[in-house]
Amino acid sequence: MTSQTSAPEPRTSPGAPPSAARDLVDVRRGPTTWTGLWFVLPFLAFYLLFLLWPAVVGLGYAFTDRSLAGGPLSFVGTANWRESLTDPALYDSLWNTLWFTVLSVPLMVLLALGMALLTDHARRLGWFLRLSFFAPFVLPVAVMTLIWNWMYNPSLGLFNGTLARFGVQGPEWLFSEDTAMFSVVIATAWWQVGFNYLLYLAAMQSIPKEVYEAASIDGAGTWQRIGRITLPLLARTTALITVLQLIGSLRVFEQIYLMTMGGPNFATRTVIQYIYDSGFVGLRVGLASSMAYIFMVLIIAASIAQFRLFSRKEA
Amino acid sequence: MRSAPPPHQTPPPIPPTGPGRRAFVTGALAAAGVAATGCAPPDTLISGQTRLRQWNLFAGGDGLRMIEMHDAYEAEHTDIDFRATTFTWGAPFYTKVAMGAAGGRGADIATSHVSRLESLAPGRLLDPVDPAMLAEAGIDDTVVLPNIWDKCFFDGRLYAIPIDTHVLIQYYHLDVCRQAGLLDADDRLMEVSGAEEYFDMLREIKAVTGTYGVSVDTWGPWSNFWALYRQQDGELVLGEDDYEMDDDKALAAMEVLYRLSEEGLAPRHSMAADTAANLANGQAGLMIHGNWEIPTLEATGVGFSATQFPAVFGNHRTRGDSHCYVFPHQRDRDPERTRAAVEYAAWMLRNSLTWARGGHIPAYQPVVESPEYDELHPQAEYREAAENVQFEPQAWFSGSAGRLQEEATGALTTLHQGTQTPEQALAQLKGTIRDLLTVPSPV
Amino acid sequence: MVTSTTRPAAPTAASAPARPLRRRRVTVGSTALYTVAALAALLWLVPLLWAFATSVKPEGETTAMPPAWFTPDATFEAYAQVLGRGDIIRWTMNSLIITVIVTALTLVVCVLAAYGFSRFDFRGRSWLFALIIGGILIPPQTLIVPQFVLMTQLGLVDTYWGVALPQVVAPVFVFILKRFFDAIPRDYEDAARIDGAGSVRVLWSVILPLSRPILTAVGIFTFIGAWNNFLWPFIVTNDPEMMTLPVGLGTVLGQYGIQYAQVMASAVLGAIPLLIVFLLFQRHIVTGVAGAGIKG
Repeated sequence: MTSQTSAPEPRTSPGAPPSAARDLVDVRRGPTTWTGLWFVLPFLAFYLLFLLWPAVVGLGYAFTDRSLAGGPLSFVGTANWRESLTDPALYDSLWNTLWFTVLSVPLMVLLALGMALLTDHARRLGWFLRLSFFAPFVLPVAVMTLIWNWMYNPSLGLFNGTLARFGVQGPEWLFSEDTAMFSVVIATAWWQVGFNYLLYLAAMQSIPKEVYEAASIDGAGTWQRIGRITLPLLARTTALITVLQLIGSLRVFEQIYLMTMGGPNFATRTVIQYIYDSGFVGLRVGLASSMAYIFMVLIIAASIAQFRLFSRKEA
Repeated sequence: MRSAPPPHQTPPPIPPTGPGRRAFVTGALAAAGVAATGCAPPDTLISGQTRLRQWNLFAGGDGLRMIEMHDAYEAEHTDIDFRATTFTWGAPFYTKVAMGAAGGRGADIATSHVSRLESLAPGRLLDPVDPAMLAEAGIDDTVVLPNIWDKCFFDGRLYAIPIDTHVLIQYYHLDVCRQAGLLDADDRLMEVSGAEEYFDMLREIKAVTGTYGVSVDTWGPWSNFWALYRQQDGELVLGEDDYEMDDDKALAAMEVLYRLSEEGLAPRHSMAADTAANLANGQAGLMIHGNWEIPTLEATGVGFSATQFPAVFGNHRTRGDSHCYVFPHQRDRDPERTRAAVEYAAWMLRNSLTWARGGHIPAYQPVVESPEYDELHPQAEYREAAENVQFEPQAWFSGSAGRLQEEATGALTTLHQGTQTPEQALAQLKGTIRDLLTVPSPV
Repeated sequence: MVTSTTRPAAPTAASAPARPLRRRRVTVGSTALYTVAALAALLWLVPLLWAFATSVKPEGETTAMPPAWFTPDATFEAYAQVLGRGDIIRWTMNSLIITVIVTALTLVVCVLAAYGFSRFDFRGRSWLFALIIGGILIPPQTLIVPQFVLMTQLGLVDTYWGVALPQVVAPVFVFILKRFFDAIPRDYEDAARIDGAGSVRVLWSVILPLSRPILTAVGIFTFIGAWNNFLWPFIVTNDPEMMTLPVGLGTVLGQYGIQYAQVMASAVLGAIPLLIVFLLFQRHIVTGVAGAGIKG
């Protein structure tokens, strides 16, 4: 599976040749010896043992009834694959993952953009805004979920307590199938948007002053400058952030696991959690491996598609 | 993913800058040196103490009792380096026990439910207990009730040391129920029989509290369902790839759960800790919960008592299970630590009067037969409950926090939320059972 | 969202002079702007402030309704109790040890590999590079089950090495570092080689000093990533004494029950180490993101 030779190399600038090709012909000086291999070897050892080997044996497990509890092992053919592919719960978890992605990606791109625009214009507050907007990103996930679970507590939490002060009966947040996913997405955005924000901010601040000055002389107002200069120049960054956020959101597990454990009524169980539930809670290594492979193929396909799309836009 | 810089852009060749940037890397490497040489997990053999690590699933009231017992145990056993850890109750706990056993470096001794023994793969994830060693420590079939002792065996070998039997009971708030005129002169709750009588009673209580009649754990509905189903003699027969269930009786049981929340007599959402809080703060006059909530309520200072599970279908049958100790598999089992673990378990059983104060009925008979036990209140009020215990059918997926219970929660909790009718919930529950039966047993 | 890549037309030379209008905009517009910005930033800090506000309340006041931001009886009692239990300190130490191992090993093996790919030709070089870069595509989350089985076979479950070693595989960093090394002009090395420096020496005294910014960025992001990693440490540690801070906080906290001041005190304590790292390295983190993510 990793014999993939055309890894999706991003084109860094419109005129450049695909970078993989460039990377591999550009050794002008190196002696053709084994020296290079010695340097590569340590990483290769880690790579083979901890990534490639599990990936290969995992594929093997998917054809057995291997249990985490050990015990007699037998080859079961495609039984695990058939069970996975006909399991409505797997599709539910795929749907939940997708729903999370659909909700979180636009939110976390637009929010980051807005926050970066604010920071870029309110420069005298720069350090404070950067601190405030980025700080949540460095929190360990469990810290984030402890805090948000507490704020979301339907009867004792900050949100419903504050709403109650205005006579409003707050929602059940994480405890209702209707609101749990939204609640998780809001908390995730708060926690993770900082990275996108920094990417945007860096891109904005690398736009040369002269461009704005020239526009000002033209009589363009703030909104016009944003609309006509900043946003068009940020198109590539937006594409990059969107791709990264998509890939990240599709792999979601930990904050949802810690906030809802996939509930209520499995309304927020993601694919990774279902793999965990099958392999570790349910001890069924074989079945979980087949699910993991199905998901891996989907993710890789999605990644390649996105990179392709991204690259085409660039060209 | 979230920390990795995006992979797709060429870093610019920035000219080297000031020295500050080096500090981080250097510091990291220096610290790595420290890590490699020191800071290994403390090996307690050096200190002359025997290391003993216990994992349990007891939070809330049980957690407090266990900590109290552990404090006493530690005070008496200064030669033991003892540490107990509480994991989130249910699947997270059992998953950690299983994964720790698979890794071979797990706990020396862990708690479990007897009903979960089969799911923990005795012989592979669990190491057997030496009955001779246990008898030496004072525990054998002469001091434990035979029906529970038998449940501790698997394939003829002993894998568990039973701690107690526990059941669902009904608590009542003295002030609220007195105000509703439901108590007799001895503060005993009026006896009702049948669903309508019970609902009438709840309405009377709600008239006093203004909020709820009864507090139930809406996120743990399986136990209530099982009790209500078994009150009607409902049978669940789990075969190899088929099962039998009585739809009408299941629907009747579900109808009760549905109406409780639908008619505003019980909350739509109540998690473990909130359930007791609802009774303690007088929002509900009754609470159906495990006997293990007694200490939680005692801690609140509220006036309360307890009785058997309500006779919604004319009898007091209730769901129950037993806690026990098990030995998770260890790669290099140390005889000294194993002996310490056995002696610890025996000590805990001999001192289980404290545990009984937490509401459980101890497995160790000398405690149950002691005069001190007779003094316990309200434990004495529901002692008949032990006769009404209804265990679940044996299967690798049944039992406390087992997959059946967990996945049934998905279906049954919707009854309280009002998002599914009993018919829909039954269809989902039956689908769940059918799915579980088609799953090859992983143990 | 504007997705057009069209550049704005170049401003014409004959443009109007700056108008006095601009002055007014600065006052009214910027007052509004700064108000909005300050409010947004404050709003963003609410969760952290609320966690702190809860953590300094006496346990009995935490569940009072309506929620109060300030308590007249502020106390650090909850912190004392949490710290007294010791497990947070233990988890922080574990996190530090594991994070340092991961960061150091990642830097070493990725730098060596990137150098090897950047400066040497050897048989199989191109397909090895493609193989490693292809690894970027594999979501590590999907490998948890076979990786755990591997750890049981190696006897590394519930050990520091078991947590650390699989995290060292970071093909992304090999890629980024190689790109960076590629861009360093060869002239510097020529001089060193003429002086008789070997390959390792060239790496150590020519390439690495020129690569400090990227090494810092990779180091910081590896550090933050390893510190905050949840899934793998959660899978491979079961013994509470081996857990990292995020895993311990996430899985063992049940025993605190509904003592919210203590739970929030734990959260605040869990947040502090990386907030300090962030404050110390804020500039590097910002430029790191900018350097690794934007330019080029």
